[in-house]
Amino acid sequence: MSMELIVALSMGAALFGTGVYGALSQTNLVMIMMGIELILAAALVNLVAFWRYLHPDAMEAQMFLLIVMTVMAVEMAVGFGVAIARFRSRGSVEMEEAQELKG
Amino acid sequence: MSALFVAIFAPVLASFAVLLLRRHAGIIAVAGAGVAAVASAVLLAQAFSGAAATELILPGLPTYPLRLEASALTSALSMMVATVALFVLIFAVGYMKKDPEKPRFFATMLMFIAAMQMLVLSADWILLLAAWELIGVSSYLLIGFWHGKSGVAGSAMRAFIYTRSADLGLYIAAFLLIGVAGTSDISTSLATSGTAATLAGLLLLVAAMGKSAQVPLNDWLQRAMAGPTPVSALLHSATLVAAGAILLIRVAPMLPPSTLLVVGLVGGVTTVVTGLIALGEKDLKRLLAASTSSQYGLMLLAIGVGAPIVALLHLITHAAIKSGLFMGAGVFQHARGSTLMDDVAGAGRAHKRVFAGFVLAALALAGIPPLAGFFSKDAIIAATLYAPAGAGLLPLALAGTVLTGAYMARAMAQLWRGKGEAAAPSQALRWMGIGMAGPVVLAIILGAGFPALERLLGAEVATSALAAAMGLGAAGLGLVLGWFLPPAHLLGALLPWAQNGFAIAGGMDGLVARPVLALATALNRFETWLFNAVIKLGHASLRLGRASRISDEAGIDRAIFSFARRTVASGERARKLQSGLIHRQLAITIIATGILAAALFAAPLFY
Repeated sequence: MSMELIVALSMGAALFGTGVYGALSQTNLVMIMMGIELILAAALVNLVAFWRYLHPDAMEAQMFLLIVMTVMAVEMAVGFGVAIARFRSRGSVEMEEAQELKG
Repeated sequence: MSALFVAIFAPVLASFAVLLLRRHAGIIAVAGAGVAAVASAVLLAQAFSGAAATELILPGLPTYPLRLEASALTSALSMMVATVALFVLIFAVGYMKKDPEKPRFFATMLMFIAAMQMLVLSADWILLLAAWELIGVSSYLLIGFWHGKSGVAGSAMRAFIYTRSADLGLYIAAFLLIGVAGTSDISTSLATSGTAATLAGLLLLVAAMGKSAQVPLNDWLQRAMAGPTPVSALLHSATLVAAGAILLIRVAPMLPPSTLLVVGLVGGVTTVVTGLIALGEKDLKRLLAASTSSQYGLMLLAIGVGAPIVALLHLITHAAIKSGLFMGAGVFQHARGSTLMDDVAGAGRAHKRVFAGFVLAALALAGIPPLAGFFSKDAIIAATLYAPAGAGLLPLALAGTVLTGAYMARAMAQLWRGKGEAAAPSQALRWMGIGMAGPVVLAIILGAGFPALERLLGAEVATSALAAAMGLGAAGLGLVLGWFLPPAHLLGALLPWAQNGFAIAGGMDGLVARPVLALATALNRFETWLFNAVIKLGHASLRLGRASRISDEAGIDRAIFSFARRTVASGERARKLQSGLIHRQLAITIIATGILAAALFAAPLFY
């Protein structure tokens, strides 16, 4: 196993940890989404690293990356849509105040 | 529309009319019977003119159409039925004047007449069976007409059950003949010979014995006196009782000599035994009833010696005479309110004209010339005299003739002796008088018509001076004995026995009624057992139902409900996880992912 792969995976792990921390510590919806974006980015970094250093000939991995990126974009669009709607109706996007979905 | 159809359906229509209108019952009934009589007369005239027999085919079973035929024999019988019925109905208009149930009476009488017309005109066993049943049930209804009185329903039931039990013979014989001949046509099936003919003949004899009240099935007829007198007049002369003799007359060509001998013996024994019963009888109507059995015995005797046409002649004569006698008895009953011999003593003096008619009919029955009875009885004795089997039967026939004279003389003596004051004429009496006059006139003049009838039927009837002398002597002897000697002297030690109806081994009650009752009791017990079994079965299934309800409620329902309750409770617990706070959900997700990752990493360690 090459050093580069370990460096890249460590980088992904750092990004993932930052993302998890962000998603859990922030109360603003936008900030939480940024944390989630970081988590997904970490996953992408890992995927790229594995492809580049382990199976550089398998082009399917790139396809998979593109799909994940599309999902990220869609998720952002939905998330920001929810945030805007929430802001319009309640005047804030603080998630501590949003308990309507309690079971 | 042929006269055949009218002869049967005119009484039926009249019967419906009586039932629907419920008034003028007598007039409608007489009109219906009159139309039927005209139709019968047309049929007889056609037969005399030599035209082909009128036929009427009704739709029946596919290969067995129901046929009615007016041949010379059947149209003569039809004429007899229609004539007697007409006069009896005229008589009944007077007799039933005050009865509130008149419509029911006349309607049933008309149905009875229609059924009898159908019986005599049917050329087909199936139709004959149907008609036989119809006259059985109508006679039951008529005998039981005053069913409110005590004992009347029992008499009707007795008549019905006795004749029914004998009818089994007719059923078996008819289906045997249909089976052997392959057709239900009576005249075709008479070509049967051999064992089948003997067997069928004996079975038909049983049926005829039941209907014509021959020994030992004679008891019911006397008890049938419980019905109104017009019923007796009709039943004893031209209808119910005649059916048996008519049946035998029609099948006579088929009967082999051995069967004929049995028929003759049954007839001969009956004529003597029931003659003795009549002589000892204490009731005028019961005397006449026993005399009916006796006369039918003579007819069976004539059939037995191979002279069915002679039997037919005597049947016709007897129909006129006996209906006249019963109507006379009806007048005396009307006057005295009873038919006991002691009660009607002297009633003849009160109603001289009726008594004169009664005497003429009685003398005709005894066989005194020139009355009709002389010719038919003379013919019977002559036929017996010249028949091969006659030697044994002749004494029986002569004894029957003596007894006829004796009991008729006894009845006349009883009606004449004793006190009686002249009765005031009433309208009811006038109707009864007209009704009675007809048969009496017939009883006087019918003898003149016999040669024509014999030619029509194509039969040679033997006559002889010897037979005439013997018959006349026997009749005269009987009349003299009966007039001057009380029955106790004539019968001697036989008297109590005769009054008891010669009830050997309990009589018919012992032979038929008791086994039938025992059977009924056994069936009743069986039915009770069956009933209880069914009830028990019902209880058991109720218990089963209750058990399954309990298991349903306590078992299946409870299991399903507790499952549903637990599902709801677990949902309730799961709700508590749903805080609605997004980061708490996220934290749960991450922790769960962490646990999952830990498990994935740890899993290889365990392999």
